[in-house]
Amino acid sequence: MSESVEVRGRDFIKYRIAGAIASFLLLIALAWQVFELFDGDARTIPEVRWGVAVSDGERAGPADEGSSILAVERLTARTKLQDERYRTGPAPDQPAPGGALSRDDFMINTPMGEDEGRSLSESWGQYSSQTGALIRRSERVSGISSLPYANAELFERPFARDWRLGIADIATHLGALSIIGFSLLLALILAIRGRVPIAKGRSGHTVKRFNFFERATHWMTATSFLGLAVTGLVIAFGDTLIRPFGENVLGAAGWISTWGHAMFFPSFALGVVLMALMWTWRNLPSRLDINWLVKGGGFFSDGGDNPPARKFNAGQKLIFWSVMLGGGLMVLTGVTLMFPFYWLDLQGMSWAMLIHAIVGALLITIFIGHIYIGTVGMEGAFWAMWGGDVDRNWAEEHHELWLTELEASSASHKADRRA
Amino acid sequence: MTRLNFLCDTDRCIECNACATSCKNEHEVPWGMVRRRVVTINDGEPGERSVAISCMHCTDAPCVAVCPVSTLYQTDLGIVLHDKDTCIGCGYCFYACPFGAPQFPRSTLFGTRGTMDKCTYCAGGPEENGSEEEFQKYGRNRIAEGKLPICAEVCSTRALLAGEADTISDIYRERVIARGFGSGAWGWKTAYYPDQDT
Repeated sequence: MSESVEVRGRDFIKYRIAGAIASFLLLIALAWQVFELFDGDARTIPEVRWGVAVSDGERAGPADEGSSILAVERLTARTKLQDERYRTGPAPDQPAPGGALSRDDFMINTPMGEDEGRSLSESWGQYSSQTGALIRRSERVSGISSLPYANAELFERPFARDWRLGIADIATHLGALSIIGFSLLLALILAIRGRVPIAKGRSGHTVKRFNFFERATHWMTATSFLGLAVTGLVIAFGDTLIRPFGENVLGAAGWISTWGHAMFFPSFALGVVLMALMWTWRNLPSRLDINWLVKGGGFFSDGGDNPPARKFNAGQKLIFWSVMLGGGLMVLTGVTLMFPFYWLDLQGMSWAMLIHAIVGALLITIFIGHIYIGTVGMEGAFWAMWGGDVDRNWAEEHHELWLTELEASSASHKADRRA
Repeated sequence: MTRLNFLCDTDRCIECNACATSCKNEHEVPWGMVRRRVVTINDGEPGERSVAISCMHCTDAPCVAVCPVSTLYQTDLGIVLHDKDTCIGCGYCFYACPFGAPQFPRSTLFGTRGTMDKCTYCAGGPEENGSEEEFQKYGRNRIAEGKLPICAEVCSTRALLAGEADTISDIYRERVIARGFGSGAWGWKTAYYPDQDT
């Protein structure tokens, strides 16, 4: 077939230019993400300073280092009142402790610098040998509580700090790296390789690939997934991407996303179930898939001699099973998160949240690949799922065995009718 | 550098729950939530002890780090505060908290938890200190008044200590030396010294 190649991937000049531009932008995004990974801002640092409003009888301006020290002095004096009673009074032979500040003299708050906050936070983490002698080791401690609240009996749970690492560092950075990195790879492929062409050009004849019900299910699931992905990304990366526009904008976007995330879920879950019913049979692994995967699906050759496949090739099967397993896992953990403590305890809920975040980021990465190959990545592929009909040459190049089956059965139908 | 801590002397705590009660009253904490609670360990057995717990206002606070909408923030006294106007009720802070401090008005279905509430170290929120608006959302701002948290100041056995870290360490240490025993500072390693090896 290779002698009849009429369209080559590298001929899609406009697509390749767009791919090059996208690569450049994604490279910047990737560099930014790598910088975020190592810029050491994972530590929580104080952002606001306390200060006294009045010092030496004069009104102080915004809280600065000096008024901060005065505020601490005042609170330290108050702290000393908790010492043994014979020392602190109140007693007739002791000076009366200072009263509260009057309404006009309330302490004030002022934002503080990042560097100062960081050194403050780091110094808090160091203890003196005297304090060190008092400290118990970090361990899970649970008892009973007379207060009727969920988890009230749990005193201490050091795992929470590991959970923080899992969500704020691992899931967030891993997610961003995989999403940006894979997008960059695809953009580079588009720039260098161009689209996967229909090698023989369009024949002008079409064959039916997906019926209306299949397409409707696909697009229902797809739009739900996009909605879930965007709202999820706002929650995962809003602190980096939206916070520069203001904390209230971030709060509003987060609120919409939280609700939106729950709104998109039912149609997504329904779609996953319908897809399982429609397509599982044709997506069971077969020997052909090994051959297809070994040859990389013929992705890098412009010839139409791709490894043979039935209705779904091994790449499509991988997409199908990532919806089934990944989507299934997302639905399972998502529903669990909506019903706190119904069947999992706090530890189980923590893991459900971590799994939901990490699998979510990976699914988004996978589906960026799916969207790529279904649109700009391959000539003619999009129409299979949009109108339902594909060009006969496209079908022959990518799903040879399926086309043969299809034409054999329609030929026998015609023969039956004639008879 | 200076910061404010909580320390509960478990050899003195008698589980009277005055801290929890006075906290609810001082801040008019809504029904269904509690900012401070008392946990009893080995109840009815030898070695039984009680310990009062709320938000510990951690160093390198995990809740602040995981909050997706930057609701939580820390002040130079170590106090961790929250902004109810931006909270989306996702519950991340709850999973990241080693002491179960964040509370939600509803534990009902479909993530409709409502906005988070937690101990403010009696230091209000982002609104103007001592304003009515601040009181409605966060309760009394005793720190701005130059006072310390009501739970510690109300404690009848002075088991619960709050205030400048070195000062309460000294008070506790002298107490332990005087009476000859003490079970140490519960939760301090997890809360205040997460990255220092013991």
